[in-house]
Amino acid sequence: MRDLFRFLYRIRDTLLFLALLLIALVLLYNGNMHHRSIAINSSNAVAGTLFTWRNQVTEYTNLREVNARLVEENTAWRNRFGIGADVMDSTLRPAGDSAIWQPFTFTAAKVVHATYHKPLNYLTLDQGSVSHLHEDMGVVGPSGIVGVVRAVSPRFASVISVLNTDLRTSVKVKRTGHFGLLYWNTMDAATASVIDIPKHGRVREQDTIVTMGGDGIFPPGVPVGEVLSVDNPPGRPDLNVRIRLFEDMARVGYVYVVEDRLRSERDSLESLQPTR
Amino acid sequence: MITTLASNLGRFFLLVLLQVLILERLDVANGWIVPYLYVLFLLMLPFELPNWAGMLIGAVTGLVLDAFGSTPGMHMSACTVMMFARIHLLRLMAPRDGYEFGMRPTVPRMGLAWFATNAGVLILLHHLWLFFVEMHRFDAFFATLLRAILSAAFTLGLALLTQFLTSRASERARA
Repeated sequence: MRDLFRFLYRIRDTLLFLALLLIALVLLYNGNMHHRSIAINSSNAVAGTLFTWRNQVTEYTNLREVNARLVEENTAWRNRFGIGADVMDSTLRPAGDSAIWQPFTFTAAKVVHATYHKPLNYLTLDQGSVSHLHEDMGVVGPSGIVGVVRAVSPRFASVISVLNTDLRTSVKVKRTGHFGLLYWNTMDAATASVIDIPKHGRVREQDTIVTMGGDGIFPPGVPVGEVLSVDNPPGRPDLNVRIRLFEDMARVGYVYVVEDRLRSERDSLESLQPTR
Repeated sequence: MITTLASNLGRFFLLVLLQVLILERLDVANGWIVPYLYVLFLLMLPFELPNWAGMLIGAVTGLVLDAFGSTPGMHMSACTVMMFARIHLLRLMAPRDGYEFGMRPTVPRMGLAWFATNAGVLILLHHLWLFFVEMHRFDAFFATLLRAILSAAFTLGLALLTQFLTSRASERARA
């Protein structure tokens, strides 16, 4: 018995090392498997506040560009709805008309921190549970999808970027309706892949990829990217599609967080169905 | 004792802030190089520090970085591995009469060759672990390997630069 204790004492450094490594690996595993349960993410108050400070210092340097993008986006909205239509709509809308009830609502947020050059990229937003943000909400930018909320604190939200190998989003080819999964394996901030599109889905270059919707995260039809190249690998059932992302992840400044108001209703209905 | 504690704490805050506010966002060579200079804090911990304390400080430092980067366990595991390796490396690289009291693992005290070897080995180990855990798979093996080696070289360069930039001041303080 004494020998055992002496032995344990002699290898105490190794034992401590193994214990610490085990804790780290458990965190790592939990963090990747169900990222909701762990609070170690950039939505915590200290990280969020620090990132906000830095953002306050640096945001003046790109105001010109932010303005240009906002004007561009306004123009796009105006072109889509016409200048007269929205005035009419807001003045003549009957109260409580379910025909114009919006299933999706949007919350504007500012990106205070973002990386785009690592294998696992995240963004931090300056809005949190106080603004009714919660996990699994979609995040879209002015030109296309940006990511999915992974955790929130009262004032901040941590978002998995589309430039993250852990994120897969259902998308479809706008022209043909074939669907696949958006998966970032290109390690390049401008491009991504769409996997699982069957070979008979005739995808062409310059086809537009949009979100599928129906997952409670993104509305259907949010622009994702444009097909750059289509590869037909022999011996595989699906195509290898590379796309150029519409949203420039290197300079994303303001984003919109999507709330699917029908999600809980749909989820509770689906959970009622027998699983058999 | 107090000054050692204060200077190490100061170094911790300075390097962690530098890491999460600036270096983390630095896009060198299109994502091929990501420097993690915060490990310099761990490399410059005093020799007299007990082994268990070194590993605990390493794990906590990694956890702080993880909290900023939304990567639970990633930096923590890398720092723990590095600090465990440091115990053995310091034993291997000890001077013939052991480390004198008050000796610091810095360039002016230990010499450029000693520091570069010690820091180089540990930084490379840390970066290799970190980059492979970050990918959490082994495809793109050589690309990840290259990224880790390039980043480690860049971090070592920054660490040496920091040593040269700060040693003059510390030398003056000692005189």
